[in-house]
Amino acid sequence: MTSEALLTWARGPGFDLALAIFVLGMLLRLFEILSLGNKPDLAEGRGSGVVGGLKTIITRNWPRGTVFAREPVRIINGYVFHLGFFIVLFFYGPHIELFQTKLGLSWPGLPTGVIDAVAVITVASLVLALVMRLTSPVLKQISSVGDYVAWAATLLPVLTGYLAYNHMLVPYTQMLALHLLSVELLLIVAPFTKLTHMFSFVLSRWYQGYQAGHRGIES
Amino acid sequence: MSAPSVEKGIQFIREQIDAPVASFFSSCVHCGLCAEACLFYGQTGEAKYTPINKVEPMRRIWEQEYTLWGKIKSSLGLSRKVTEKDFEEWETLVYDACSLCGRCSLICPVGNDISDMIRKIREGFAAAGYAPEGLIGASKRAVEIGSPMGVKLPAVKAQIAHLKKDTGLDAPLDLKGADYMVLLSSMEIMNFPEYLEAVARIMRQAGKTWTISSKAFEATNAGIQIGVSDIAAELVQRVVDAAEELGVNTVISPECGHAFTAIRWEGPNLIGRPFKFKVQHILEVLDDFRAEGLLKTEGLEEAKLTFHDPCQLVRKGGVVQQPRNLLNMVASNFVEMRDHGAMNWCCSAGGGVSANERADEVKFKAFNQKKSQLDELGVDTLVTACANCRIMLEEGIEEHEMDLPVVGLTEMIADHLVEERVEDKAEDKNE
Amino acid sequence: MSTISNDGQMRDAIDAMDTGQQRILAARFVEHVLPLTKDERVQRVLQIAGNEESGDEQLLAAYKAAKAAALEAHARCGSDGEWNDQTGYFVARAAEAAVAPQVMSHGKSVAWQTALSCRMARTAQVTDSNDDAHDSESEAQYRILNEFLTR
Repeated sequence: MTSEALLTWARGPGFDLALAIFVLGMLLRLFEILSLGNKPDLAEGRGSGVVGGLKTIITRNWPRGTVFAREPVRIINGYVFHLGFFIVLFFYGPHIELFQTKLGLSWPGLPTGVIDAVAVITVASLVLALVMRLTSPVLKQISSVGDYVAWAATLLPVLTGYLAYNHMLVPYTQMLALHLLSVELLLIVAPFTKLTHMFSFVLSRWYQGYQAGHRGIES
Repeated sequence: MSAPSVEKGIQFIREQIDAPVASFFSSCVHCGLCAEACLFYGQTGEAKYTPINKVEPMRRIWEQEYTLWGKIKSSLGLSRKVTEKDFEEWETLVYDACSLCGRCSLICPVGNDISDMIRKIREGFAAAGYAPEGLIGASKRAVEIGSPMGVKLPAVKAQIAHLKKDTGLDAPLDLKGADYMVLLSSMEIMNFPEYLEAVARIMRQAGKTWTISSKAFEATNAGIQIGVSDIAAELVQRVVDAAEELGVNTVISPECGHAFTAIRWEGPNLIGRPFKFKVQHILEVLDDFRAEGLLKTEGLEEAKLTFHDPCQLVRKGGVVQQPRNLLNMVASNFVEMRDHGAMNWCCSAGGGVSANERADEVKFKAFNQKKSQLDELGVDTLVTACANCRIMLEEGIEEHEMDLPVVGLTEMIADHLVEERVEDKAEDKNE
Repeated sequence: MSTISNDGQMRDAIDAMDTGQQRILAARFVEHVLPLTKDERVQRVLQIAGNEESGDEQLLAAYKAAKAAALEAHARCGSDGEWNDQTGYFVARAAEAAVAPQVMSHGKSVAWQTALSCRMARTAQVTDSNDDAHDSESEAQYRILNEFLTR
């Protein structure tokens, strides 16, 4: 198959297929969670569960001082690659055009020079995350194959995107095809790895926050 | 109860998996920050004590049975089933190196309530017969005798008799319609009888009626600690039946950590219905009295003192401000530990750890966290409001030859009450 | 001075004593329940408490020893509590009260606190058998106090 044909497929049916798997897969994961049900709390409450749930969804975005003091690098690095990934995904012109096509939404982007730099930082940050996962005793204890699959699936789009934009390693058409394929890989594996957290974090924060709000305790 | 077995254990774990648990496992990104919140990991450096690792058997069951990918892997023979070996290996992680303190739950960036998952997984371990001897004995005694330490009614009556003779104060048994029904923990009955005196004096000054139930005086809930909801429910039911039969307004949970969690939060959910009475911790009651102007105290402790926040009371119970209000009434030099209030560190002996002799070594190592807090602050007295914390603090302080008395808050308040001696009014004749 | 025959009189008499005197009296109270404990440290603590010459440092050392004895003797949470073992605990607590530094006793009288713990020790000894030993201990304490006042 020629690069052009591969690219055409990746942009078209390949992407649609991957997206469908992503959406259905994520919906299935949400269903798998919610269908297990949650018993109501019969203990007399002191406050509002709803307020607690919503509050906690927001407040868990920031670390507690005492834990930050123990692992500042790991925590800051987490912010860096999350933010970097989002910036590259949502504020790069051609990506915004894609959203325009698929969802009819559009918004201003960032200069490509900025995106370029952010991509480099993001890749570096992800590599650092991998190094930490491979060297920290705690992370080694709790890591599994899924972590490395998710890591690769997250890294490849950013890396190949950067390489494509900068016309590095292989001809542009090929690299672009690889980029799209890596995106499709990410979309396909996401629902079957810890990447489900991108949606389920709302639920997990909500559940604990709700109980805490109902009880009137810290959350 | 049928005999313990690994199948039963797995079944019980399975039954604990609800939507919240599934969301927690789905969201966990293995960031490892929960380890940094855990005093057992922090003071031993053992990666296996990472909180989310403690529930790994539950995670495997969840993945294999409640996720599509997990089911596919299972059918292809690619997943590791939970076996007896896992129960063997994980027992000490689940019981010895975890006090259910809840700090990990507060830290998790995706909001996982890890300590609650550990509480849940204990149900499976107990059902499989993989629970510490001390806790098994305690729960058996709780069910059969009414107290995990085998304290029977005569012991309580003896304390009440002492109270009457030494101070002239009454502790009425089975008083119908009393404002408050007081529960006592076995630890208090056996080791800190001054708690009862303190309560009696405070009630007298506040002008409230109170009682102890002869059928349900025990506050400690060994079922919660070992993780056998049936036992936990039975113990709660006894209190509920007594309180509702007597028609009391409020049941008071004493200075014991898990007793409060058991009756206040788990209670109604264990027995399947709301209570017909309120539940308050003794400190909540005391603070209410303070706010209503019913507590008259005099004098101030001059010693530099600090408060150790019992996990179940403060972090998990939300009774954060009350001990501080009360201390400010009677102390002139009250200072806070750097990590205080809801983020304070566990004494290391809660959640059944103190009843588990096998856990002694890891418990004392974990105590170093509390020690470093105290060393940093440099106080003359340590105040707390949980009999279990108190003993652990004393033991830890003793172990490290620190010179630091530990005092119960209720007692301290009672010591500062403005009151006349009741026994001056008692009859002069000998009995 | 009339003979002490009830708690009200006992507390009045004790309040009239200074701390040093109270410690000596307290030591005598504890001696009466000493057979209930096997811990030798308590005996040594009593020697210091009962000695008028004991200085603050000795009292502090004795206090620590008594505290250690009490801690060791206490009932472990969730264990099969033996009331008989608690006798040792309360005797140690009584000894502790006898040598407690002023700042830690919150203004409670040394001898009275000691007396209370002694009574608990006696009660713990007989609780399982439903006998009421409290009064017999109080009576013994009135006797000891009377002897002390008239020495």
